[in-house]
Amino acid sequence: MNDRDFMVGSAAFTFIFLGYWFFGSPFFIADRFVMFLAIVVFGGILIFNTRKAQRGEEIFLRTIPGLKAVEEAVGRSTEMGKPVLFVPGISDMDQVETVAGVIVLGHVSKMTARYETPLNVPVCRAIVMKAAREACKESYLVEGRPDMFHEDMVHYVTDEQFAYAAGVNGIMVREKPAACIYMGKFYAESLILAETGNSIGAIQIAGTASQSQIPFFVTACDYTLIGEEFFAASAYLSDKPELVGAVKGQDIIKMIILSLTIGGVFLRILFDAGILNLNILEILTVR
Amino acid sequence: MMNYVIELILKLAKVDRRWIFLIIGLVVLIPLMYPLSLPIRPGKDSQQVYDFVESLEENSKILLSVEYGPSTKPEIHPMVTSLLRHIFSLERGHKVYVTCLWADGQFMAEEALEEVAANEYGLTYGEDYVLLGFRPGAEAVVKGIVSDLRKVFTIDARGTKLAEIPMMEGVNRFEDFDFLFSGSAGYPGTQEWVLFASDPTGVPMSTGTTSIIVNEMMPYVLGGQIQGILAGMPGAAEYEKLIGIKGVGTSGMDAQSAAHFVIVIFIFLGNLGYFIERKRSKRHQG
Amino acid sequence: MLWKRQIPIMIVSLIGFATLLGWFLDQPTFKSFVDDDATQWFDILAAFAIFLGGLNLFKLQMQKVLRKQKGWHYSLFAIGGLVFALLAGFVIKGNPEAAWGAHVTAKGTLFKWMFTYLVSPMQATMFALLAFYVASASYRAFRIRNFEATLLLASGIIIMIGRVPLGSYISSWFILYLLVLAVGIVVNSFFKNKQYTAIFVCVGIILVTAAGSTMGWPIDEPGIFYLPYLQEWIYRYPNSAGSRSIMIGIGLGIFGTSIRYILGIERSYIGE
Repeated sequence: MNDRDFMVGSAAFTFIFLGYWFFGSPFFIADRFVMFLAIVVFGGILIFNTRKAQRGEEIFLRTIPGLKAVEEAVGRSTEMGKPVLFVPGISDMDQVETVAGVIVLGHVSKMTARYETPLNVPVCRAIVMKAAREACKESYLVEGRPDMFHEDMVHYVTDEQFAYAAGVNGIMVREKPAACIYMGKFYAESLILAETGNSIGAIQIAGTASQSQIPFFVTACDYTLIGEEFFAASAYLSDKPELVGAVKGQDIIKMIILSLTIGGVFLRILFDAGILNLNILEILTVR
Repeated sequence: MMNYVIELILKLAKVDRRWIFLIIGLVVLIPLMYPLSLPIRPGKDSQQVYDFVESLEENSKILLSVEYGPSTKPEIHPMVTSLLRHIFSLERGHKVYVTCLWADGQFMAEEALEEVAANEYGLTYGEDYVLLGFRPGAEAVVKGIVSDLRKVFTIDARGTKLAEIPMMEGVNRFEDFDFLFSGSAGYPGTQEWVLFASDPTGVPMSTGTTSIIVNEMMPYVLGGQIQGILAGMPGAAEYEKLIGIKGVGTSGMDAQSAAHFVIVIFIFLGNLGYFIERKRSKRHQG
Repeated sequence: MLWKRQIPIMIVSLIGFATLLGWFLDQPTFKSFVDDDATQWFDILAAFAIFLGGLNLFKLQMQKVLRKQKGWHYSLFAIGGLVFALLAGFVIKGNPEAAWGAHVTAKGTLFKWMFTYLVSPMQATMFALLAFYVASASYRAFRIRNFEATLLLASGIIIMIGRVPLGSYISSWFILYLLVLAVGIVVNSFFKNKQYTAIFVCVGIILVTAAGSTMGWPIDEPGIFYLPYLQEWIYRYPNSAGSRSIMIGIGLGIFGTSIRYILGIERSYIGE
C-alpha cells in the first residue's frame, strides 16, 4: 500500500462512515460503539506503524530465544542426518493460531530446503494439510529446491485428538527426529507430545496461545513462545518491515489498554466513593 | 551411614522415569480398589453452583450443554450426573434440554440421561428431558441457538421433529431458557457460551470443566459472568457431597489425593538431590 | 497470478470485513449470513475436505503395505480401522430398527459398539498417559533454581495438596512449622552462622507452639496457612490476574494477526 492508496482509502472510509452516521446509522448496534471505535483506532495504529516501518524506520524487537533457536534446531537436525518434525496444532484453519502456525511452517520449510533437511509435517485437519502443503511448496520454490519438495511430507493423520497424538508419538519414536517444533493450537495432547519428544532427546520448540497448555510446554520443551510471542513469530522470522511495524503497533495498543485499565480502576474507585457520577463500566461494557 | 543416605538420595533424584510411572500406577490403582473415604469439603465455587440451582424458580427450563468425550469423562460425567440428580430430586418441575457441541458429547449425554433421568428417576423423554443432539459448527451453533433454536435443531437426537415434542413448546431461542450449565472439556465449550450466549442475553450460567481449563474460566467466574464453577474431579466430588449422593467423583478423590502426595514426594526428592549435587560441584570448584 | 494472489486476498478481505461488520450491524439478512451461512459454508468445506485427508491417509498406508516398508504391519491396522469405521457408519447398521443418522448413538448398532468398546477405551487410555507424564515432567522440571522457580514450585505444591481431600487433614500449624524451618534455611544462607540459625529456628518453634496452644490447635486457623483456603486464594487472585494478562496479550495477538490478514499485510499463508 503506498501513500496515495492509504490516503484515498482512509478518506473513502471516513466519508462513507460519516455519511452513514449522518443518515441515522441504520441497523448499527449503538451499545457496541465503543468497541467499534476501539477497532478503528487500534487498526489505525497498526496501519500507521506498518507504514512507518515500510518507510525505513528502524524498529527494535527484543530477542526471543525460541525463534533464534529454530534455525539452530534445523541445523542440529542436518548435522545428525535426522528429520525435523513440525506439528501445526490440532485445530482447523478457522483458528488464527493454526494460520500463524502454518506461516511459521513456511519459514521453517525455507530453512529445511536450504539445509536439505527432511521435513515431516503430520496434520490433524484436511484443510490444514492443503494450506501447509502450499506453504511448504512455495518455500521450497523460493529457495530454489523444488526437487526436494514432495507432497507426502505434509500428510494427514486423523481428526481425532488422541489418535493424532498417538500417531505423532509413533512418528517420533520410529523416526527419532532431532528437532520437534510445535506451533499452533493445542489441547491435552500437548504434554504427551512434548514428553515423548523429550524422551527421544529431540530439541523442542513450542509456540501456542492456548493458555492452559503453555505450562506443559514450558516444563517439557527447551523453548516456548508464549501467547503474543507466537503471533509475532512471522515478523521475527521474515524480518519484513510491515510485519515488524505491526508488532510495534501491537505494543502501543497494549500500552493504551494498560493506561485505560489503570484509569478505569481509578475512575471506578471515585464512582464507588460517590465522588464521581460517571460509571466507567457502563461505557466499557459490551453487550 | 551419612554417605550411604546421600548416595541413595542422589540415585532417587535421577531415577528412570519408568519407576515413576510404575509407582504412580500403583498409587492410583490401590485406593480405587481399597477406598480411603477421605472427607470432602465443598469449596466456594462448587457451593455457588449448588446454591444457584437451588434458587431456580419452579418449572425452570434448564439448558445442559455437554462438551466432553470419553477421555475427560471421569472428570465431567460425575458433574453432569450429579447436576441431573440435583435438578430432578428437587421435584420442582424443572425441564432439562440437552445439547452437545462435541460429537462425542452426544454419547456421553445419552449415557447420563439414561442412567439418571430414565433409570433412577423414571422420567419421561419429551416431557421431562430431551436430547437435542450434536450439531457441528462450534460458535455458529451457539449463535444459532441464541437467535433461532428451531433453525439449528429441526429434529432431536432420536429423529423426532421438535414440533412433536411437548416440552419444546414455547422454546424458540436461548432467552427462553432460565439457566445454562456447560459441562466442558475445551473448545467449543464454556467460553463460547459465555461470549456469545450468556453474557449478551443475561441468561445465567454455571459450568463444570476439567482442572486444566479452570484457569481460563476463573476470570469469568470472578467477573460474575459465570455463577460458580465445578473444577475438575474435586469439583465433581464436592458437588456429590453437596447433593448427598456419592459417585465416581468421590471415589476418584482418594486416588487423586494419593497421586498428588506421591508427586510432591518425588519433587522433594528431586530437589534434595539437586541441592546435594550443586553443593558437591561447588566444593569441587572451590 | 491473479487467481493465486489478488483474488484470494480479496476474498479474505471481503469476508473478514463482512464478519467484523456483522458484529455491529443488526440487519437480519446480513447477520444471518455472518452468523449462520458463512460458518456453515466453512463446515461444509471442512466436511468435504475430510475426503482429501482420508484419501491421503489411505494412500500413504497402502503404499507402506504394498512396498513392505518398515513397520508396514501397523499400516494394516490403520487401513482396517478406516474401513471398519466406514462400514459401521454407512453400510452395516447392526440394529435394523434404528434410523440412519440416529444409528450412531442407538443401542445395538455396530457404530455404537465401536464407540463404546474401541474408541472410548483408546481415548481414555491416551488421556490417562497424562497422569504419568505429569508426574515425570514435574519430577524433572520442578527445581529450585531461582526465585521464580521456587515460587512456581511452592504454589504448585500448595495447589496440588490443597485441592484434594488430603489437604484438609494438614493442619495450618504444620505449615507454620515448615515455614519456620524454611525461613531458617534462608537465614542460614544470609548469615552463615549456625548459632543465629539455631536461635531463630528455636524461637520460631516456641512462638508457633505457644500460639497453637493458646488457640487450641484448630486445624484451619490461621486461615492463611490452611492449604485448602490458600489454594483457593491462589486460584482466585494471583492465578486469575496472570491468566487475565495472558488473555489480553493473546487477544491482542489475535487482533493484530487478524487485522494483518484482512488488510492483506500478512500474505504468507498463501505463499510468497
